[in-house]
Amino acid sequence: MECLLGLVGKDFVITVTDTSAIRSITVLKHNEDKTRVLSPHTLISFSGEAGDTINFSEYLQKNIQLYGIRNNIELTPAAAAHFVRRELAEALRSRNAYQANLLLSGYDKKKGPSLYWIDHLAALVQRPFAAHGYCGYYCTSMFDRYYRPNMDLEEAKDLIRKCLQELHHRFIINLPRFSVKVVDKDGIREIEL
Amino acid sequence: MVGKNCVAIASDTRLGAQAMTVDMNFPKIFPMTDHTMIGLAGLATDVLTLRDQFKYKVKMYHLKEDRVMAPRTLAHVVSSTLYEKRFGPYFVEPIVAGLDPRTHEPFICCTDTIGCIDFAKDFVVVGNATENLYGMCEGLWEPNLEPEDLFETISQALLNAVDRNALAGWGAVVHVITPERVITRNLKARCD
Amino acid sequence: MISDIVAQYTTPEASLGFGSEALPSQRGFLSGDVAHQFNSLAFDLPRTQDPVDFLHTYTDVKSAEDNLIKLAHGTTTLAFKYASGVVVATDSRATQGSVISSQSVKKVIEINPYLLGTMAGGAADCAFWERELGRRCRLYELRNKERISVAAASKLLANMVYSYKGMGLSMGTMISGWDKTGPNLFYVDNDGLRLKGDLFSVGSGATYAYGVLDSGYNHELSKADAIELGKRSIYHATHRDAYSGGSVRVFHINESGWEFISLTDVDDLHWEYTDQARAP
Repeated sequence: MECLLGLVGKDFVITVTDTSAIRSITVLKHNEDKTRVLSPHTLISFSGEAGDTINFSEYLQKNIQLYGIRNNIELTPAAAAHFVRRELAEALRSRNAYQANLLLSGYDKKKGPSLYWIDHLAALVQRPFAAHGYCGYYCTSMFDRYYRPNMDLEEAKDLIRKCLQELHHRFIINLPRFSVKVVDKDGIREIEL
Repeated sequence: MVGKNCVAIASDTRLGAQAMTVDMNFPKIFPMTDHTMIGLAGLATDVLTLRDQFKYKVKMYHLKEDRVMAPRTLAHVVSSTLYEKRFGPYFVEPIVAGLDPRTHEPFICCTDTIGCIDFAKDFVVVGNATENLYGMCEGLWEPNLEPEDLFETISQALLNAVDRNALAGWGAVVHVITPERVITRNLKARCD
Repeated sequence: MISDIVAQYTTPEASLGFGSEALPSQRGFLSGDVAHQFNSLAFDLPRTQDPVDFLHTYTDVKSAEDNLIKLAHGTTTLAFKYASGVVVATDSRATQGSVISSQSVKKVIEINPYLLGTMAGGAADCAFWERELGRRCRLYELRNKERISVAAASKLLANMVYSYKGMGLSMGTMISGWDKTGPNLFYVDNDGLRLKGDLFSVGSGATYAYGVLDSGYNHELSKADAIELGKRSIYHATHRDAYSGGSVRVFHINESGWEFISLTDVDDLHWEYTDQARAP
């Protein structure tokens, strides 16, 4: 029932996560942050089984930070994505698999912005836009329709707004608030739509 | 598919989650040596895992033995790697296609998910649209095709097979391996 | 004269009580009209303790993969009302499991020159019941010397399928047309649900179509734009949904009845739209 969206623009990646923590039929919390900062230019957003998601993403976060401290070098988004995939794939074939769907967005000083789609089975693909959860059924066709490479931030925000409007209009689950984050050369910041 | 002193290997490029198409550019065929490729059809995560494992094994073999792994050897590596997970298999069916590094003799084979090798002299098919592919290949393939003819044959077989399968398609890639070079072409396919 | 003929094919209205449709086994499904002449069309039920349960075992339409009796499935259809009429658009793929059994299905059914129905779910169910609807609409016209309203027609269909509720019919359809009140659009499905509305999309690819449709919809659209929007929405659904595809078929309805607009191969549309997107 959770919603993750991501979109690569000209020199940034924009990610949208809903902020509802849902347990059974109750909304426990309205301002839950479903993202973790892996490194100054890499952000991971997650959905899936409660507990697994946060445990796994904080495990990733700490290990990638440790790597940064040990080697005094930031892991590139591509390297981070492959690290994440490997961890998830190894866990998948153990007794305690993580049930987590992830979007990894990052900015590489040399290669520019990138977005990786990773599902709970640890399939990894790099995408210009991606979605997890039911919102994908509504939003991917809208991305197909309106997305262009090299969108600037305003255009990207417009498209995201369109998508969220559609979700409010058609999706049965009421997701009242969304957190929108941008990753670019200056790092990670939250923005208002 | 085997031709005259050449082999061809082809796949579609769809990555889907059930009915939803997630990506239209997902490679399933990976070069292992200059003259050998491996195609992996099945669960995407295992495709990636096995790709990495086979690459690692082929490179280690190269370093230890100081010679290039022959496709027949790779087939047995594939088989034993898959059988290692006999009771919790990788959900992948591989195809190995290549030319022997010394004799340039064509070689193709496929295995099931737990590593039973199926050698063939004409063609092998795995994955989603196998029924369709068998029909197409039985109809189109003939012995001793030249590289260009082999390319046309395998392309037509693949494209027409995936056009009758809802879960495959969205693009295709074909590699023809000849002793001199590997010809790689991306094909336009129906995107519905 | 004509009324004599009609009477010949009609049982007196008075003898038809409420819910006369509800007992197919007793009366034969066409009992209201010409059933006595076409008794052979009454549906046989499996001779088991619980026919409904028996049918569910073999024709549960939600998992076509596992069933012995496979039904054609997977679709994207849409219809919407706007200022100058109704646009109806469908894909044309039929699948059985993952096999594409046809790329050229006609999922729009012309019930009469003023009424269109769409097909989603079981192809046979939709085709049969909408044909039957057409027959009843014609009889209505002969009896009453005026065309049936879209509301009434859709209600006829909803009542017919409602009487078979729970027996495994699979039908998601939109009945659209033009009557005295103007353009009309109704959604009718096998649960017996009937909804009046401005914009519907039905089928496995419906969510994708909704995304594009909602974001581009505007009541004051021009006819050309409305048709393009319908076409484009179906295209995007076929692109992402594995079980939709083939060609996009578009119909348009205005006060003079329906009109066939176009049949476009999705493959052609795909490259046309990709080229458009690439152009500056």
